[in-house]
Amino acid sequence: MEVRLNRVEFMTELVPMQGVVERRTTIPVLSHILLRAVGSTLQIAATDLEVSLTSWCQAEVQEEGAVTIQAKKLLEIVRASSSDDITLRIDQPEVLTLLAGKSVFRIRGLPEDDFPSLANVDEGQALRVPFPSFRSMVSKIFFAISSEESRFQLNGALLELQNDLLALVATDGHRLALVEMRHEGLEEEEGVLVPRKALQELQRFEGEDLEFRRGPHHLSFIVGRRQLICRILEGTFPDYERVISKENDKVVKVDRKSLDAAIKRVGLLTGERTRAIRMELSEGQLVFSAANPDLGEAREEVECDYEGEALSLGVNPDYLGQFLSACDTERVRLELKDENAQCIAYPVDGHDKRYVCVIMPIRL
Amino acid sequence: MTQIHILDEHLISQIAAGEVVERPASVIKELVENAIDAAAKDVRVELEVGGKRRIVVADDGSGMDGDDALLAFDRHATSKIAAFDDLEQVATLGFRGEALASIAAVSRVELRTAVTPGDGHLVRIEGGRVRSVEPASHPRGTRLEVASLFFNVPARRKFTKRPQTELRRSMEVVQGYALAHPEVRFQVDHEGRTLLEAAPVEDDGEGVRQRIGQIFGRDAGRQLQEIPIEFVGEEEAISGFVGRQGAGRGRRSFVFVNRRLVRDRQIMARFYRAVRDTWKSEDYPSLYLFVDLPPQEVDVNVHPQKSEVRFRDPYFVDRIEDALRVTLELARGEEAAPLRLPQGPLPVVPAWEGLGGAGGMGSTVGSQRDAFGGRPGAPPEYDASPPAPSEIAEGGAAQPWPSAGREGAPSQIAHASVVPPKPAMVPLSGRSGEARPFRILGQYKGTMILLEGPDGLYLIDQHVAHERLLYERLRRNMAQSRPASQQLLHPILLELAGSEAMRLEELGPALEECGFGVDRLSGNTVALRALPVVLSVEAGEAIVQRLATEDGEEVSDVTHLRRRLLDDLAADMSCKGAIKMHHPLTMEEMQQLVTELFQAEQPYACPHGRPVVLQMTDVELERRFGRR
Ligand SMILES: Nc1ncnc2c1ncn2[C@@H]1O[C@H](COP(=O)(O)OP(=O)(O)OP(=O)(O)O)[C@@H](O)[C@H]1O
Ligand SMILES: [Mg+2]
Repeated sequence: MEVRLNRVEFMTELVPMQGVVERRTTIPVLSHILLRAVGSTLQIAATDLEVSLTSWCQAEVQEEGAVTIQAKKLLEIVRASSSDDITLRIDQPEVLTLLAGKSVFRIRGLPEDDFPSLANVDEGQALRVPFPSFRSMVSKIFFAISSEESRFQLNGALLELQNDLLALVATDGHRLALVEMRHEGLEEEEGVLVPRKALQELQRFEGEDLEFRRGPHHLSFIVGRRQLICRILEGTFPDYERVISKENDKVVKVDRKSLDAAIKRVGLLTGERTRAIRMELSEGQLVFSAANPDLGEAREEVECDYEGEALSLGVNPDYLGQFLSACDTERVRLELKDENAQCIAYPVDGHDKRYVCVIMPIRL
Repeated sequence: MTQIHILDEHLISQIAAGEVVERPASVIKELVENAIDAAAKDVRVELEVGGKRRIVVADDGSGMDGDDALLAFDRHATSKIAAFDDLEQVATLGFRGEALASIAAVSRVELRTAVTPGDGHLVRIEGGRVRSVEPASHPRGTRLEVASLFFNVPARRKFTKRPQTELRRSMEVVQGYALAHPEVRFQVDHEGRTLLEAAPVEDDGEGVRQRIGQIFGRDAGRQLQEIPIEFVGEEEAISGFVGRQGAGRGRRSFVFVNRRLVRDRQIMARFYRAVRDTWKSEDYPSLYLFVDLPPQEVDVNVHPQKSEVRFRDPYFVDRIEDALRVTLELARGEEAAPLRLPQGPLPVVPAWEGLGGAGGMGSTVGSQRDAFGGRPGAPPEYDASPPAPSEIAEGGAAQPWPSAGREGAPSQIAHASVVPPKPAMVPLSGRSGEARPFRILGQYKGTMILLEGPDGLYLIDQHVAHERLLYERLRRNMAQSRPASQQLLHPILLELAGSEAMRLEELGPALEECGFGVDRLSGNTVALRALPVVLSVEAGEAIVQRLATEDGEEVSDVTHLRRRLLDDLAADMSCKGAIKMHHPLTMEEMQQLVTELFQAEQPYACPHGRPVVLQMTDVELERRFGRR
């Protein structure tokens, strides 16, 4: 193998690979990326067996060939170099010679064959959606994905294609976030569970269009020259429409930024693991308070639009805060019922077809 | 089945006296035993009001003819043994001829039975008096209906518990027999609701595993390590299952001796010991142990309810313990190490020896101490109360620890002169009790504290030690306020055995107090709809599972349960806050940690049961270096 390519272009493609490779692994090749020179490109691939990412760079290929190289080291070297171009060459099996300006690196790799073969999802109907909108949808529900490993079916988000609606839903059992976007010409399909890691990596991508495909066991997301393939999470996702209560009759409207700031401040006085603040609602005002036997107490008032009975309930300030930060509207609407019922939060006048976050209360 | 006849007086006196019928569950026990003795393949139990109003046990066993049907109710009428020698080798569950008589004396009984289908009999007895005997059509088998238990014994009636509790106990009884006899079909209905339905399976290891699944849910069946069948002698066998380490859901323990469920303290004590020794843990896994041996090798006649046994061969329990150890080691996938948990009391406040002067201390540690402004040679800022003079005087020549002299001769290392024998004369504040000379040798890989003690080398896992301390502190704090409770968006459903679901139902109010929300749904499904905020969903679920499977009366009492739960919560939280591995500690920090640890309520094990301190005794060291 011998190729010459632009250093910055190469680096741009190496960066997202880092998120996919396994840092600490008992299978060494999973901390490596595959480099393969074909035609006039250098193809790059990384995988942790669950999620894999492929991309390519323009390259002058003198001789085709392939090698796997430790991902982190390679990026460090490319980043530290200062020349415009880089030459990669293999003149001894499994050793990559890297020439950049006046520096010469000889990096030990692993045989190409050790690299796992990647799943293929190239067939079937492709769905095209504007990528910036999709990425913003992901950021609106990502925080609600469970990170508890035992609840693996919640370690991802549900992606649903319904009649003209694209929906993403995530829940960790304490709260649920749902966002919907209108998209013409969608056919009704069964929902699919996208693993957390795939969504996390997708958020780092840039591009105009997303091309989505669904295979029997895998999903493919293509943005520009990058393709991310992930295994479909198996499991049943709770029936989310049923979870969202229709009985919350107490409606509050409030300025998003002042609410967010107040919650963050009061939240400073909750225990590290007992994240709970009290929220008291009365006409025209919301009062937040926290008390911690080891630390002390905090209290703050926020003005709001509300006419109705007084009400008090406990919530986790992080849950509410994460929703507020993900929102982009000036005001938000909270729908409540009583201290045992869920708190349902919506943005007021948002762009999304629907965005809602359901937060279960804490009994204090 | 042979004819029934009255036992002679001599034999009667040999039979343990005692109350047979104590509560609905004891009636069920006797009736189910009779059904099994009659070689039934299908046993159905029906209950009303937890068995207080009505108990029906129907079987498809041998049945009885007209004469036997009446004779069965006579005291000491049995078909199962005839002579004194038979008592030496009881192969059936029943042998006293006492059960039916006792039951009939305190209730209204209707017996329907037939040996040949159609040609059956119906006997009605009330408070021990025969009311009527008539022919009745009945399929082959026996059906006993016991109504109004204790109707003529008001004192006893008062002692029965709430229907829920009685029902749970009855379920536990049937579950036990269902485990012992996987080849028999069992069904239990309570007021029209089916609580247990177990289809017959093979009568072998795999069958038992399936039966465990039928009773306790499929997962329980999978998480088991099989006890390799150990044949001791010609006809004796030890077999069964233990739960895997970390599989949680412990405390289901069943011991069967010749298919008789026993609660034998001796066997359980051996099991607990084997777990502690091989796993270094007090997190006891579930146990399903089957011991089969010739009837003459075991005496079942030592307890009125036949729940304790005695083995003729006093070493037989050792063999049971050996089999358990092998399995436990396999279940853990590890071999035992030469280090052991210290034995005997440790919680004596250490006196620090040789700080600053001793050769064992690294220079880094010394300079760190100086950087913190510590005074070389002096312990950190403790409010040292003056020690009793005798303690100081004896400090250097502390008596060997109870464990040190295990092999008789005094240890050589303990008397070797390489170590400066001068103890530091500063006992630390804390409990009364003599100070022991300890010396901190240093930190091993930023992870363990090495300690020279009077009788050996001690290794302290700093993370686990700190965890232990945080745990005890937290537990004291948390005992004061009620934990906040996070409601769940969609309940977590737990599939449990009938008795377990009932148990959680009983515990409901107490659980609520502690921040859990638990609802019993249809069948044996329990919905968990709220958890204490401090718990992850995973940890919360595990705690509830564990509570469901534990037995013991005292747990239903709120204060007790609260303490237990707080314990669990504190254990979960303290783990997260403790200093991690690979974290360098200064000499002062180590001293502080060890001193506090030695004053802890339980310095040996972390809240999860992992060991905190391991000791390599001088005796052991000498042996390994070939000095002994
Ligand atoms: N379900 C049954 N099917 C057939 N025979 C039965 C059944 N139940 C009882 N019998 C007969 O009635 C007799 C008396 O039963 P009972 O339970 O009183 O005594 P036992 O089983 O012999 O001894 P124990 O008092 O230890 O239980 C039994 O020996 C048996 O012959
Ligand atoms: Mg009997």
